[in-house]
Amino acid sequence: MRLLGKRPTWLYKQPVRWAFLAATIALLLSFPFWASRYWIDVGFYVGLYALLGLGLNVILGEVGLFNLGHAAFWALGAYTTAILNVRLGIPTLALLPLSALVAGGCAWLISSPIIHLRGDYLCIVTIALGEIVRLVLINNPAGLTGGPNGVIGIARPVFLGHVIRTPLDFYFLVWAMVALCAFALRQLQRSRIGRAWNYIREDEIAAEAMGVDVRSLKLLAFVLGAALAGLAGNIFAAKMRMVSPDSFTFMESCLMFCIVLLGGMGSIPGTILGAALVVLFPEIFRPVAQYRLLFFGLALAATMYFRPGGLWPRRRAVEFTAGRAARP
Amino acid sequence: MRALILGLVFLAVSVWAQPILIGFQGPLTGSWAVEGDWALKSVQIAVEIVNARGGILGRPIQLVVEDDGGTPKGGTLAAQKLIAAGVKFVVGTYGSMVCMPSSELYEEEGVLHINYGCTRVDLSARGFKYYFRTSGRDDSQARFFVEYVIPLFGAKRIAVMHDNTAYALGVAEDVLRFMKPLLDAGKLQLVYYDAIMPGERDYTPALTALRDANPDIWYYTGYYPEWALLLRQGKDLGLDWKKIKAVGSNACPISEAVKIAGIDAVMGAMITQEPLPAFLVEKYTLAKEFVTSYEAKYGPIHDSPWATYAADAIFTLAFAIEATKSLDPVVVARYLRSGAVVGEGITGPLSFSPEGDRLGVPYMLLICNEKGESALFDPAVHGHLVGM
Amino acid sequence: MLTFIQQLLNGLTIGSFYAFVALGYSLIYAILKLINFAHGDLFGLGAYVGYTVFVYAFGVIGGALGLWGLLAVGFAAAALATAGAGLVIERVAYRPIYPIGRLPAVVSALGMAIFLSNLIMAVWGPRYLAYQESFIPTGFWQIGEFRIRILQVLILVSALVLLGILYFVVEKTTFGAAIRAAALDRETAALMGIDFLKVIRFAFAMGPALGAIAGVFVGMYYRQINFTMGWVYGLKAFTATIMGGIGNIPGAMVGGILLGLLEAMTAGYISAAWKDVFVFAALMLMLIFRPTGLLGEKVAEKV
Repeated sequence: MRLLGKRPTWLYKQPVRWAFLAATIALLLSFPFWASRYWIDVGFYVGLYALLGLGLNVILGEVGLFNLGHAAFWALGAYTTAILNVRLGIPTLALLPLSALVAGGCAWLISSPIIHLRGDYLCIVTIALGEIVRLVLINNPAGLTGGPNGVIGIARPVFLGHVIRTPLDFYFLVWAMVALCAFALRQLQRSRIGRAWNYIREDEIAAEAMGVDVRSLKLLAFVLGAALAGLAGNIFAAKMRMVSPDSFTFMESCLMFCIVLLGGMGSIPGTILGAALVVLFPEIFRPVAQYRLLFFGLALAATMYFRPGGLWPRRRAVEFTAGRAARP
Repeated sequence: MRALILGLVFLAVSVWAQPILIGFQGPLTGSWAVEGDWALKSVQIAVEIVNARGGILGRPIQLVVEDDGGTPKGGTLAAQKLIAAGVKFVVGTYGSMVCMPSSELYEEEGVLHINYGCTRVDLSARGFKYYFRTSGRDDSQARFFVEYVIPLFGAKRIAVMHDNTAYALGVAEDVLRFMKPLLDAGKLQLVYYDAIMPGERDYTPALTALRDANPDIWYYTGYYPEWALLLRQGKDLGLDWKKIKAVGSNACPISEAVKIAGIDAVMGAMITQEPLPAFLVEKYTLAKEFVTSYEAKYGPIHDSPWATYAADAIFTLAFAIEATKSLDPVVVARYLRSGAVVGEGITGPLSFSPEGDRLGVPYMLLICNEKGESALFDPAVHGHLVGM
Repeated sequence: MLTFIQQLLNGLTIGSFYAFVALGYSLIYAILKLINFAHGDLFGLGAYVGYTVFVYAFGVIGGALGLWGLLAVGFAAAALATAGAGLVIERVAYRPIYPIGRLPAVVSALGMAIFLSNLIMAVWGPRYLAYQESFIPTGFWQIGEFRIRILQVLILVSALVLLGILYFVVEKTTFGAAIRAAALDRETAALMGIDFLKVIRFAFAMGPALGAIAGVFVGMYYRQINFTMGWVYGLKAFTATIMGGIGNIPGAMVGGILLGLLEAMTAGYISAAWKDVFVFAALMLMLIFRPTGLLGEKVAEKV
């Protein structure tokens, strides 16, 4: 709390916020023109994890549903793209909405019976879900997923006649998606739906009593979050030009969970910042080679130690967390 | 005074002799950190040997090491990092699904990439100009099993077991493919074909099913931790490796299996293996030098063929650059693709097909003897050349 | 029938491992409502400490202790060292964070899990280490075609005895009452004069110690350990915890054993490759119809 209270209020002044936003956008736009290809690719992964984080943020940050199986929806999007592109030759970029649709649809089917579960019980069910999806992919049902070998030979996406192939192209593709989603989510955050979501997070029973359709709103969050992960899956598949089950492990779900909390629950810029940390930490520690994950683990814990409410908490979220501190 | 002059000369030479950067990409963290560790040590020894002989074109090699964590994503980042470091020649990596996206980046950037631990067949079928591998392919090992090992024992009832990992499944499917004509003709019978879960620790159910299938020969195509457990638990279940010929894949070093399962369980079990340095010291001078240097620095030599191939990738580069007198990856790659024997490495003659596959990997059948060591099953047959 | 009995015994053994580890999860969860993801890697640490002590104790003292003396030393050292590690982690990584909220503590726990497994790799190397024959009880009883290993019996008996003791402590002693009170309502318990920190320390020493014992047993039973093993066991044990009803000691035991049996039977009778799919699907179905676990409390979650 002591740490949370430190946040200076001038940061919330409107002109400062706009200036900051403009500076960030300028940095993101100019970055690939002076950075090396390696850093552009790092930037791409930051964008990819930001997309995944934004999706999970809807579920975990806005509504407070513990989802530790988000990698499953990422995998569904990636495999939808891979299989339909390789088998039927549908252009990769055209599969972008379809990947989101499949991931979202599956989320709706799967989460309908489990959405009433609370807290940690929902958490374990999503873990189970993530593992089931990964194991099914490994076991190669009907020869569709290629088993542990995965699917290879995904075509490069083509946008208005321009083949997306270089790190620079992918960087802009993924960040365009991030910008689009961040904007849409911000609008949603401020709408009736967004407020109802937060209400459910703060007090589900009270929300229900006030006539909020808790079940439908929870499902909506799940479907929306999964659809974003599906988008990320499509871009990931296009970038790697292959998919294999070892990219979608439980550890990945855990990292997404960390992204949302590192940034601050329900905070869109926070989530993007969290994604930057999760991708950058292991890269920064590259000089120590085999010990870099050791430092990564410490860095995760240290970040939470110094900023338990996240790096960029949402204002309302701050009050909420601080108020709750007395009775966790 | 003399010392000073010598020192100045040395300084002058070392300034003049800019090191040649060679990249190493491998899994130094994650589940395959063991292989990454061995490969890195082997590559470092190979670099020391080359540098002690005066380097390449009079210039020393300097390694640039990047960890890929054994994941496809980590692979692309490591590759980009190496490319950004200005590396033109790369040795790496372990695991076909990690290799695939990384090798695309190397290809696009015109970086010569020599693979040491990825045996997936279609890696070399992509029409790449800069891709090579010093290891064999999945199907060369399977072919060795079907064409050499099965007839050797006159086996009729065949059992094949894999662990659903990319590698093991590939070998198992290739074994089936090569056996198909013999199965169709009724000369062989496939009595067991199933997968176990790696990381699992109890395989008694699978072994019970295996026992009931009563095979002559049982080929396990996965990795050693599981194989060791299978042998141990099979022995505890009363299976006899003299009656059922237990053959493991080349990912099952006998010494590691013995450490886990004990001599009594592994004795008599065999593996299909690519040449290991320990068996090559009498045949190739470079192998002797490599093993001696390795043991002087890191203790007993490892049993990993992949790490050995990683060292051979360094020698391949050294020979090819020396022969072409060029540091241009285009020239070196063209030379390697010509099929010429570029030199004699730790694992024998180094030469490559136009697709970049290693030509003539000498496979061997090893058996675990009474002392728990691996020995050539038939010392006369030192290496059955596959893939020529 | 032979297969069935074999599977039953295997299932019970694996189940005992899960039960051991699940207990630590359950204990810590009951008190702090924290999913301690580092717990699995503490279990791994226990296996490594046990290994080192066995190797050195065997080298230094040799046969003087006898097999059982050696085992006692090894288990004690592993349990103590891991309990110490558990306490340090609690002090450094959790205590400053959990008053703020339990989710940031989950991130800290994940960080600790990654840190611990990589620490093990840094200290002991990435290779598989093998528990040697000289410090494993290798005897067995042969009954017809059927074979029972002494080690398996030892594992089962220790699981029952240790969990029995823990159950007694928690349910029948004054200190146990304090634990239960703290688990139920921390603030009220504190007002009643219960030393909350003491309760937490107990959980963070006891849980990892039990995990360490399981780690050493796993090393003996499968004869090999590696630095990533904690993650898999942690996940499975967490599943077992939920199956039994989270925060419930007999529940963790039942959940662990049940999970072991379920795994062994699906592997034996359906398919080894699809085993985990069945296990997790069973878990999902169970939670849909019985959302608080098998032995979970029947009241709705407090809001």
